[in-house]
Amino acid sequence: MSTLKTTLTGYTGYRGREGHYAFLLHRITGLGTVLFLVIHIIDIALVYLSPKGFLDVVALYQTTLFGIGEIALVFCVFFHGINGLRIAYFDMFKPANWSIETERNSTRITLIATLILWLPATFFMARNILIHNYGLFGG
Amino acid sequence: MTATSEQIRRVKVRPNYDHVAWKWMRYSALLLIPLVWFHVILQDVIVGVHTMDLDYVAQRWANIGWRVYDALLLGFAMAHGMNGVRQVANDFIKGERARTIMSWALFIFWLAITAIGAAALIGGVRQDFPLN
Ligand code: HEM
Ligand code: HEM
Repeated sequence: MSTLKTTLTGYTGYRGREGHYAFLLHRITGLGTVLFLVIHIIDIALVYLSPKGFLDVVALYQTTLFGIGEIALVFCVFFHGINGLRIAYFDMFKPANWSIETERNSTRITLIATLILWLPATFFMARNILIHNYGLFGG
Repeated sequence: MTATSEQIRRVKVRPNYDHVAWKWMRYSALLLIPLVWFHVILQDVIVGVHTMDLDYVAQRWANIGWRVYDALLLGFAMAHGMNGVRQVANDFIKGERARTIMSWALFIFWLAITAIGAAALIGGVRQDFPLN
């Protein structure tokens, strides 16, 4: 129990600004994606294990609530990927550049790059939901 | 001052499991970018969940290339993700014994989920199932 407390207060109490937030966000997005992936492998496996069940699951995925979750998932996949590249690049090629200053700048660039990929994707996914679930835009 | 740094002796340390895992997370990451991103952009943004049904999966899996692609995705994403979970769990769990139990539990879980995914990839869509 005490280690749980130490770890959690370390996560929240440390005030490392950008580098710290990038670490937390990398964790959360990674764990979120792997949680989805486990569910996703099972739901796709239903095409073999129980085709009828697959249709029920797809119907669930088409609801607005799951659509919003999907938009969040795509953010996770984009942010985690770009931030992962940032980590791997510094670790393997430029370990001497791990300083607070470069970490701040590279984290900002990571966030901007994520938004550049994520906002257009969000536009198309949100439009799909509005077309199919609300009959907008001639749907 | 330079003399001291030249006298540093380089020793070879045999890489332990965590060292290998650390490298693995970084190499698999490079492969995951094209694999996962292309999959997500295609399925989620271009095709969209509203046009998905058994026919769609059957058509894609009729092409062996996409099955191989999905197999790579299944192998690399799941292994990277489960090793990531192990890393996070190591932050919370201290003690040799507890960590060993946790690692084995995650390994068995990974094996089970991967086997389910592989079964579907090999078996394909069972369309003769009476729908409705
Ligand atoms: C919500 C967004 C997503 C949708 C709509 C989607 C859709 C699909 C579909 C229709 C398939 C069936 C095979 C095919 O068409 O190639 C599939 C398979 C697969 N997807 Fe996704 N996918 C999504 C996100 C992801 C993500 C983020 C990952 C990885 C982290 C992933 C990993 C996989 C894997 C491993 C398989 C093969 C499953 C198996 O072996 O049974 N998918 N996906
Ligand atoms: C899209 C390409 C991806 C890249 C470039 C990437 C990169 C990385 C890197 C470099 C790490 C190690 C971080 C560290 O040791 O500090 C990591 C950790 C992790 N990744 Fe990924 N990854 C990717 C995709 C995924 C996917 C698809 C999942 C889920 C299935 C995932 C789940 C995780 C988890 C849970 C961790 C552990 C987080 C932590 O230790 O804080 N990653 N990733």
